Amino acid sequence: MNIYDFILKKIKDVKMETGDEGPVTNISATSMLTAEITIISSLLIAVVMLRLLNRALMMAMIVIVFLIIFMAMPIMPKLKREQNDSLATMSFYVIVALAIIVSLFYWGNLNV
Amino acid sequence: MSTENLLIPLMIIIPITCALFLNLLHEKSRVVKIISVIVALLLPTIPLLANYGIQYFGGYAPLAQNPTIATGLPSFITGSALNIFHPAITYVFGSAQKLMITILGFVALFAIFISLYEVKKPSGVYIYLILMGVASVMAMLLSDDIFNLYVFFEIAALTQVGIVLVSKVDHNYETALKYLIVGSIASPMLLLGIALLLGVTGNVNITDIVYSIKTGLVDPHSPVLLMAGSLIIFGWLYAAGLPPFHTIKSAMYSKALPTGAAVLQAFSVFTFVAIGVIILRIFSYLHFAEIFILGISLIAMVLGITMAITQTDFKRLIAFLAVGELGYIGVGFGLGTVFGITAGLFQAVNEAVITALLFIGFGTIMYKTKETELKKLGGMLVETPKSAFLVLLAGLAMAGVPPFNAFQSKLMLVQSSLNSGLPEVAIIMVLLSIVTFMTFMRAFHTIYLRPKPAGLVIENENIPRVTIVAMVCLLIICLVFGLYPQLATNYLQGLAMGIA
Repeated sequence: MNIYDFILKKIKDVKMETGDEGPVTNISATSMLTAEITIISSLLIAVVMLRLLNRALMMAMIVIVFLIIFMAMPIMPKLKREQNDSLATMSFYVIVALAIIVSLFYWGNLNV
Repeated sequence: MSTENLLIPLMIIIPITCALFLNLLHEKSRVVKIISVIVALLLPTIPLLANYGIQYFGGYAPLAQNPTIATGLPSFITGSALNIFHPAITYVFGSAQKLMITILGFVALFAIFISLYEVKKPSGVYIYLILMGVASVMAMLLSDDIFNLYVFFEIAALTQVGIVLVSKVDHNYETALKYLIVGSIASPMLLLGIALLLGVTGNVNITDIVYSIKTGLVDPHSPVLLMAGSLIIFGWLYAAGLPPFHTIKSAMYSKALPTGAAVLQAFSVFTFVAIGVIILRIFSYLHFAEIFILGISLIAMVLGITMAITQTDFKRLIAFLAVGELGYIGVGFGLGTVFGITAGLFQAVNEAVITALLFIGFGTIMYKTKETELKKLGGMLVETPKSAFLVLLAGLAMAGVPPFNAFQSKLMLVQSSLNSGLPEVAIIMVLLSIVTFMTFMRAFHTIYLRPKPAGLVIENENIPRVTIVAMVCLLIICLVFGLYPQLATNYLQGLAMGIA
């Protein structure tokens, strides 16, 4: 199974989960593929910024992130599934974000 | 700056008073129309006519500027920081505020005009909500008092819910309720952050808080101050619609009428700027705050734009693009340089205009077909050639194609990130601009260029002339700022220099 067929299968899975009855069109498959490539390339480019901290760390992180992405592909259908309009999902991510921000600001600035 | 300037409070008082008045008159269409037109015209006119200045409410100027009161006071007051502290609620109207309030006024003016002429019986309640929202966001841009800002932030949040509630769009009640519930987590956190800030500094005036931190009156690394910073930043994410609030924010835009969505996105952009500037002013001594703003902005750009590509509803598509474009503003703020912040502020002004143009432009499709699903649309170029051309130009402007305004601001942002030694950020911004272009062209092709689907019903009504005029005016603003960016950046640079 090539990557295009693999992504097509994942889109169908997401559509079934969300109860969307429409067919998977060329446009929707190409859009998902573009989003996939965009998110992977943005992530890898962003990791390169770790060079400001440590070059060895950057290289290690690029390899690790690349491996994680390779194993988790396709990312976009999963991301789309998580970013739905469900109040439960939204509230979950809001609470997680609050916890992360408070932790980063509180302990991150006190212990540096 | 001259201190006495009565036009500054009038920017807020006129829309609020007229909003309350219109709410009482909502059954009398003719009176509603006349008052709405007059107030809408005043919205961009007052800030254009007003001189720069400072206005004090419920108190007096600092003692250092007020010898009449200072004379006779004991030296332990006049010789201390109390001498320069602001006892009144202070509104500051500088060049950056002038530009941003004028642009917000223009967006509201066109939204009100279109909503008045697209419906047979204008709704006083709808205009009331728009005016209350505009007044609140203008107050947030002017206020130098963080508690006063919070009050208007709450009013703006409620009016946004109201605008969605009165829009006759499927599932609008559900989305508005979700926004309220999510807001009930974020808003108290913002208020708690402000309360902690007040507890540590004993002050709610932002200039005084910054003075207290910079001169060591308050320990800058006090745990309570750090906690306040994190909670205020969390509230800012909600107000602006940055992740994790990007999903609900984009849902809000898509469940409003096109005119409502145009003003809602302008509210988000200028609320982003108002609170973002305060965060930079107070917490820029924490290097981590700038890193965080940069990081969350990159996440917003990537999530917003990649989610936009996968949408099948064109309103949701534009909504996600609008969220993604917010990230560009944040990148400018996160870079923290004068050039970067100026670029971010310029991008904010541009985005408010372009996204309003896109929402209004694509709104003509809804007007003709009552349809927003891309798969059900097609062949609209024949039906609406003028608005199609204007929408195409708006899409090119959003993607950063010259000679439009976003090209200049995005170029400045790219230059700024290169100057800051972050070419990776520049590459991501360019990449996402290309994807924005592709996303827009996909929607444009589907709606306008492909053959009309058999089941699509197109109404015979002509698009109101006022809608086309509004789109042309917004496009002219895009073109003027694109050809002469210094017309905007000269106004914004002063504010950027003050906070960098």
